[in-house]
Formats: sequence, C-alpha cells, structure tokens
Amino acid sequence: MWLGLRAILIKDIVVELRARQALPTMVVLGMLIVFILRIASESAAAGGGAPVMGAAALWIAFLFSGLLAQERSFAAEQHNGCMDGLLLAPLDAGTIYLAKLLANIILLTIFEAVVVPLVLIAFHLHVAGWGRLVTVLLLGNLGISSVGTLFSAAVQLTRTRGALLSIVVLVLLMPMMIPASFALLVLFGALPERMVGSGSFAFVGSFPAAVAYMLAFDAVFTVASWLLFGVVVEE
Amino acid sequence: MRRLLLALAFLLLIASTLIGLTRGQIDPLQRNILYVHVPNSVCALLCFVVVLVTSVGYLATGKQTWDLAATAAAEAGFVFATILNATGMIFSRAEWNVWWTPSPRLVTSAILWFLYAVYLILRVSLPGAQRRAARLCAVFGIVAFLDVPLVYISARFIPDIHRPNFSFDSTWQTAALMLGMAGTILLAAGLIWLRTSLLRDTLKLEQELLR
Amino acid sequence: MAQDEPTSAALSVRAVSKTFVTKPVLRGIDLVVPAGEAVCLCGINGAGKSTLLRVIAGLLRPDSGSIAIQGYEVRREPEKSRRQLGMISHAGMAYPELTVSENLAFAARLYGVPRRAERIEELLAGTGLTSYRYDRAEILSRGLQQRLAIARALLHRPAVLLADEPFTGLDAAATQDVCTIFDRFARDGGTILMTTHDLRLGLQCCRRVAVLDQGVLILDASKDRIDTRRFLDDYLSYARTMS
Repeated sequence: MWLGLRAILIKDIVVELRARQALPTMVVLGMLIVFILRIASESAAAGGGAPVMGAAALWIAFLFSGLLAQERSFAAEQHNGCMDGLLLAPLDAGTIYLAKLLANIILLTIFEAVVVPLVLIAFHLHVAGWGRLVTVLLLGNLGISSVGTLFSAAVQLTRTRGALLSIVVLVLLMPMMIPASFALLVLFGALPERMVGSGSFAFVGSFPAAVAYMLAFDAVFTVASWLLFGVVVEE
Repeated sequence: MRRLLLALAFLLLIASTLIGLTRGQIDPLQRNILYVHVPNSVCALLCFVVVLVTSVGYLATGKQTWDLAATAAAEAGFVFATILNATGMIFSRAEWNVWWTPSPRLVTSAILWFLYAVYLILRVSLPGAQRRAARLCAVFGIVAFLDVPLVYISARFIPDIHRPNFSFDSTWQTAALMLGMAGTILLAAGLIWLRTSLLRDTLKLEQELLR
Repeated sequence: MAQDEPTSAALSVRAVSKTFVTKPVLRGIDLVVPAGEAVCLCGINGAGKSTLLRVIAGLLRPDSGSIAIQGYEVRREPEKSRRQLGMISHAGMAYPELTVSENLAFAARLYGVPRRAERIEELLAGTGLTSYRYDRAEILSRGLQQRLAIARALLHRPAVLLADEPFTGLDAAATQDVCTIFDRFARDGGTILMTTHDLRLGLQCCRRVAVLDQGVLILDASKDRIDTRRFLDDYLSYARTMS
C-alpha cells in the first residue's frame, strides 16, 4: 500500500511540475479571488454587514457560473468537430461570436433569476428600485459574457482550460466589479446615492456614474471581442 | 549598442541613488523609496503601451519579431509591476502601518501586476501551432490594454486614503527623481531589446536543431 | 452559378505551402481539378493529406500560395467560396444531443438553403437515413454517422466535396453505399477530392489518383494511364517501408 501511495504521490507532483503552467495558474486564481472579494466588499466605505456580503456573493456567483457556462459553450463545439462545421459555413466569425454571446447571456439571466432572490432572502436585503437592480444585473451579465465568450474559444486547446479561462476573465473584469458592487451597495441601501470625495483621484461615488461606467465597459469589450473573435478561432 | 544602453541606464540609476541618499534625501526616511517607486510605475505603464503596439503590429503583419517583442515587453513589465507593488507595500507599511488597503492607486497597481501575470501564464499555457498562440496572446494584449484606462476610471469609485503630500524643496530631489526616471526607462528599453533578440536566437537555434 | 467569373477548374490549388512551427507539411502543392472529376489523394499517415484538405477548406491559413473554388479565391472571398464547398472530416460535425433531422435543419439554416424541408427529405432518402430521422446523433452507428456527415456536406448543393478518410471505420457494405453516393454526386457534375490511406478503395471510386509524400505531390495521374495492379503493389511496398 505504501509503495503504491508513494508512487502515485510522486507521479502527481512530477506531472504537475512538468505542466509548468498549472501551478502558477492556480496560485494567481487564488490571489485574484481574494483580491476581487476585497475590492468588491470595500468599493466604498460601506463598513461591513449583510449588504456588502450580499453584493460580493452575487458577483462572485455570477462570475463563476458564467465562466462554467461559457467554458461549456465552446467545449461542446470542440467535440465531434462541430467548430469546423461552424467555420465552414458562409458566415463571418463575428456572427458566430454574437450567437454564442446571446446564448451565454440567456443562460446567465436564467441563473440570475434564481440566485438573486436567494441572495435577497438569505441576506435580508431590501432593494431600492427593482428596475435599477435589473439594469445593473444585465449590464454585469453582458460584461461577464462578452469577455468570457471571447476567451473561452481561445482556451479550448489548453491543458488548464477552466482555470486559465477563470484568471483571464477575472483579471479583465476586475475594473468592472468595483462600480458594479458600488451600484449594488447603493441599491441595497448601504451607501447613499451620491458620495463626495477628494484627492487626486476624484471620487466618483454616484449610482448613475456607476451605471454609465458599466455601460462603457460593456460597449468597449463587446465591440472589441466581436472584432477580434475571428483572430481567436482561426487556426 | 545594447551594452552601451544598459551601462548608461545603470550609471543614471547609481547617480540617482547617490543623490537621493545624500543631498536629495526626503524626510522621513521611508519616503525616499519614491526614487525607485515612481520610475517603476511609469515603466510598468510604458511596457503596456509597448505590448499594445507590438500586439497590434503582430496581428497586422504576422511577423514573428513583433510577437517576440510583445513577450519581452510583458516580461519586463511584469518585473517593473512587481517592483512597483513591492516598494509601494513597503512604503505603505512604514507610512500607514498597513501593507495593503483598497485605495485607488494600490488597486490599479495590483491589477496591472495581475494583467502581466495572466499574460505570461497565457503565453506558456497555449500549446500547439505557435502562430495561433501568438495570435491569442496578441488578442489578450490588446484587450488588456483596453482594460488599463478602465482600471484607472474604476478606481475612482474607491475613496482615496490620505496621501502624503510630496513637494520637492530642492533641485537635488528633482534631479534624483529625473535621473531615476531616465535610468529606469533606458533600462526598460534595454531589457526589451535584449530579451527580444535572445528569444529570436533561441528560436533560431531550436529550428537548427530540429532540422 | 459563378456566371460573373467563368473558370474552367472547379478547384485550383497553386503553389500552396504550409509549415507547422518548424516542420514543413506542404511544399508547393499544385493541383487543378476540373468540374465533375473525382480525385483520390493518397499517402501514408503524416504525408499532409488532412492538412491540404483543411487548407483548401479555409480552416487553416497557408503560408503561401492560393486556392480558388469555382473561381472564388478562398482568402479573398471566403463566404462565396465556402458556399461552393462541402466537407466530410474525420469527425461528423453533428451535435450528439440533436436528432438526425435537427442536425440537418441546423446546417441548412447556416447555409440558407431554400425550401429546407424538401431538401432535407431528399437527402435523408438519398443517404438512406429516412427511418433514423428522429434518432439522436449520439446513438447512431459509425456507418450511419458517416451518412449523416455526407448528407450534411451535400445539403447546400456544393460544387466541390472534400472528404477526409470517408471510409474509415466502415464495413464493406457501408463503404459500397458511400461510393455509390459519391458516384451519383460526381455524375451530377460535382467535383470530389478525397483522401485515403487505402489506395485500393481510392482507386475503386475515383478516376484520378494523386500521391502525397512528405508534403510533395509525387504523382498525379488519371487511372487509365497507370498500370493499376503494378502501381498498387509498388505503393503498398512503399507504404510498408515507410511505416
């Protein structure tokens, strides 16, 4: 028994070390998760408590379930050469991207419809304005899906697929997570609609500014991904 | 030429350090780290510009040198971003008694480091046909660069902690900073250049061996 | 179809080269196939057959050279050239969760096939899949999956059919069926370029043979201009020494 245990243990460590990318990927993924939780829970001096936890929980849940859905959406094409079938069709790559993006948005929306009420109930949160909550969630959804769809096509042939996709998408989405959690904190009543700040980085703490920022982020990333998708899928 | 560039960079850095430690000293002591910190933050950003330009260059022309230069710039940028964050943390600890806290500058510097780290991991993770890997890295380089301004804007949603008000009261201090800046920028240029040609030679050697 | 650009050849490959990292896989391939001809591309494993097909299909970018399908340059007019092209690859390109007719309907929508339902009926009958139409693709046998792949490839009435090892994993009867379908396609004016490592099968359904070796076309001749039996023997002994 000891011999076998030792053999498997040593084999595992050797294999992990040979796949040079695996360990750094895991380490950076862990660091990113800690970092995102930290900035999402203190995007403005909201203190602690249920709203902060709820907002962080929501975005983390969306990020990871979104990533799983996106990873799957191209894994399904890789199987049986289906991706070739799409690339052979008389369509440009941008069309494939937009279709995949919409599918991922729909999946994430269904997920949000289930998880958001759960978070509201579990954390005893009251929402100031449902319409605004839906807006913020959809903008977040589009941001997560646009970047995720582009890079899930890119990581398909790698060994560390899911983990690699996670670090790529998390690092790119980090800037959006700050105003996104700010907006949720306003809606959950933890922050006032408008906050004033000082310093050389003028503090832009208002709900409309957060929404405008998310909109800008979505626009930049959706257009860039749509244009660059052809470069990613071509061999 | 490369050697001259690097030698000049080191001379400037040594001069900056000497002046900084003597005539240009800032009070209290820990603030002297700015002579290293500020030039490194500038270079960390400059390397990003180089990654963007070389990535676009690669996608437009398909020439391998562009791709190698992008790798070199990302590696150099990673080093500068690491020094930037390390010196920042040391300063933060001495000045405010915390290693790290979510303030805009700290958050943006950290994200910069993460972007470089992920770029380099992506680079070693992509298998198979080299051109496809190069293209994917170029795409990430471009998208990551789009991220940088967004990072700076997003940081405005975090209220800043009190920052020490640096004002230079002697020309020696300005001189030390400027020398440090010039030295670090030259160092960055030299490193990228050196690394690009090293990568090219490695590749050539591999091709020879395979033949 | 291509009245604005009259050309004699359905498929023309000119000076195509392709290198993977440092290994040259295709070296200056020239191949012109007139409409209605069936060409069999032979060669041992690793000779570059599949790569050539993928380059022609536009799935791989050649390092140099040009390819035209029905006169449309693959790189310059990708959508027009792809419309003229059908492809059967190693994998069936079918979604296992969808049924046979759903898979075909999906492909028909991708290509904007007019009168979809009728065309799908026609192909189901032509490939003998009518009774399997409601079966999910995942439960089909290898032979049936290959027929589905053929139906999918011919759905949009392509002028050129590329087939990568179409007989792999098929028994004698299924092979015969596939051959019959190919014959019918060629008789209707279709052009076929198929790869196979089994020269005997290739000679059975093609009139022209091309042999690819280490990325170079070492032979390109019509079947009745070579001594089939001797050629087969030579080829087989050559393949044995190479592998």
